[in-house]
Amino acid sequence: MSEFLLTQVINFGAPLVGLILLLGALGLPIGASVVLIAAGAFSQQGILSWPGTALIGLVGALIGDTLSFGMGYYAKDSVQRRFGKSAAWRGARASFQERAGLAVFLTRWLITALAIPTNLIAGGSGYKYSQFIAYDVAGEILWIGLYGGLGYLFGSQWELVYDFMSNFGGLILGLVLFGFGLKQAWNWQKKTRSQLI
Amino acid sequence: MLHKKRPGQRAVMAGLIIIGILFTAFFGMRAVHAFRKFNGHRPPPPGKVETDVELIRDWMTISFISKTYYVPEKIIFDALDILPLSNHDKSLKVLNKEYYPEKSGYVLSLVKKTILTNQPPLKPDPPLTPTASPPVAP
Repeated sequence: MSEFLLTQVINFGAPLVGLILLLGALGLPIGASVVLIAAGAFSQQGILSWPGTALIGLVGALIGDTLSFGMGYYAKDSVQRRFGKSAAWRGARASFQERAGLAVFLTRWLITALAIPTNLIAGGSGYKYSQFIAYDVAGEILWIGLYGGLGYLFGSQWELVYDFMSNFGGLILGLVLFGFGLKQAWNWQKKTRSQLI
Repeated sequence: MLHKKRPGQRAVMAGLIIIGILFTAFFGMRAVHAFRKFNGHRPPPPGKVETDVELIRDWMTISFISKTYYVPEKIIFDALDILPLSNHDKSLKVLNKEYYPEKSGYVLSLVKKTILTNQPPLKPDPPLTPTASPPVAP
C-alpha cells in the first residue's frame, strides 16, 4: 500500500500528500507518517515544493482531525445515553477534560497511534472545538515539521529515518500504556490501603 | 467499605501493563537497532548528486530516478527497450510486470546498471586550503 502511494505521490505531488494526511487523520491505516517523511525527501530532491507540500499537508491533517472530532461530537448523545450514569465514565470524562490539551498536542506528533481515539473522545466528551483546534494546529505543525524536516534533511536516505521514527513511536506507545496501567494499579492499591486503615 | 475493582477492570489494568511491557521491549530493541543504523549516516550536504544506486527501489518511476541521479530518461528507457510514452508514471515494479513478466527484478537491476554507467562525472571537491590571494598593492 505504502509503495503504491509513494509512486502516486511522485506523480501527483502535494495534493495527494494532503489527501493522504486527511485520510490518515480519519483513521485509515495508509501510512501517513511514511508518506510525510518521503515527501520531505522528495522536496529535497526537487520533486515537490516543501512549503506548498507542508501547507497542503497541514490543511489535510486539520480537516481529517476536525472530521474525526465531529464523529465523536455527533456520537456524544448515544454514548451519554449508554454510559452517562456510569461513575467510571463521568470520572474518565472529567479526567480527560483536565488534560485534553496536552493529550491532543502529544498525540499529533509523539504518540500518533492514539490520535484517533483522542479526537473521538475529545468530540464525545464535549471538549470545546476552539481549544481542540488550537492544540491540534500546534501538534500537527510540529509533526509535519519534524517528520517532513527529517525527510528533507536526509534526502534519499529517508528510509533510515522512517525505520527509526516508526519504532520510536511504538516504544513511546508501549511506555504510555505501561505507565497508564501502572498508575491505575497504584491508585487502586492506595485506595485499598487507605480504606483498610 | 473496601474499594474493590471489578474483575474486568483488573484485567484491563493487567492487560495494559503486559501490553505496555511487550511493546516497550519489542519496539525498544528495534528502535535501538534502527538508531545504530541511522547514527552511522550523516545528512548529505545540500545539492549533493545522489550516486548510491542501492537506494533505488522498485516503487520509483523512471522520471523520478532520472531527476535524482541526473541521468536522462531517454537513456534509461532505451536501456530497458521500452517506449517512454505512457510509461513515465509507472513504477519499476509495474514496468517489470508489463514488459518482463518472466524475469523477476530485471527492470530494477538493469536501471541500477544503467545509472552506474551513465552518471555524469562528479565535480571535484573544492580545495580545503584557501588559495593564495594576490599581494595587495601598497
